[in-house]
Amino acid sequence: MKRKASARWQGTGKEGGGTLSTQSGVLNDTPYSFVARFGDGKGTNPEELIAAGHAGCFTMALSFMLNGAGFTADALDTEATLTLDQVNGNWTVTGIHLMTRARVPGIDAAKFAELASNAKANCPISRLLNASITLDAALAG
Amino acid sequence: MKRNANARWQGSAHDGSGALTVDSATLKDTPYSFKSRFGDGRGTNPEELLAAAHAGCFTMALSLALVNRGCHPEMIETKARLTMDQSNASWIITTIHLETQARVPGLDGETFARVAEETKVSCPISKVLNATVTLDAELLV
Repeated sequence: MKRKASARWQGTGKEGGGTLSTQSGVLNDTPYSFVARFGDGKGTNPEELIAAGHAGCFTMALSFMLNGAGFTADALDTEATLTLDQVNGNWTVTGIHLMTRARVPGIDAAKFAELASNAKANCPISRLLNASITLDAALAG
Repeated sequence: MKRNANARWQGSAHDGSGALTVDSATLKDTPYSFKSRFGDGRGTNPEELLAAAHAGCFTMALSLALVNRGCHPEMIETKARLTMDQSNASWIITTIHLETQARVPGLDGETFARVAEETKVSCPISKVLNATVTLDAELLV
């Protein structure tokens, strides 16, 4: 399976600006820039898209693992927080923290924790990322 | 620096549906599902967001690297194509291919190729990926 996206940049790195587009059209000449990335400028940035990809992948994987164990979630909510720090003068993605809250009828906390841990370890985006991945998973209410 | 994203899933893995949101609101309850990921259903998927992040990161980094060498890039455009394959029944992201074209007045092709290759190795998203990253770089005249 192949998935495509593109970036277009005009002008210099700091003052210029870019746009991002994806195959599905969800991003369609969506602005991004140095200021949107390293400050609070308007637009998206690569790091939040990685966080979204990871949150999405983990959550779908958890849904599959629950189904495989005979459970169906009413709702799974995951927040991914990516940390980008300077390491030896280079910007480095050092970690992603996943916080997930789930409503799953009939499951106990231990089984849920086991499945969430499996989803964290095995989802394709987790395996793609060479960064520390941490998880806080709990059943809601 | 921290970047956040959120995924919400309801229902089973095959027939349920999800939504992705990022801090910048570039994605805001944007639908994704099994069909938009593994078929041609409407909506986004984690892999195209990763491809967009990588295209975006590489392109901004290339612009910065060229400016650092005293060049004035007018335009840089990069396509990223991510490949995900099944291996031992699990999905693995194996490669991301970057195809970049740039207009940089006064720059020679050899220097451009070298800077592009260095950027492929050193941009923060390339460094966080456990996948083969390949590059075709073309200097437009």
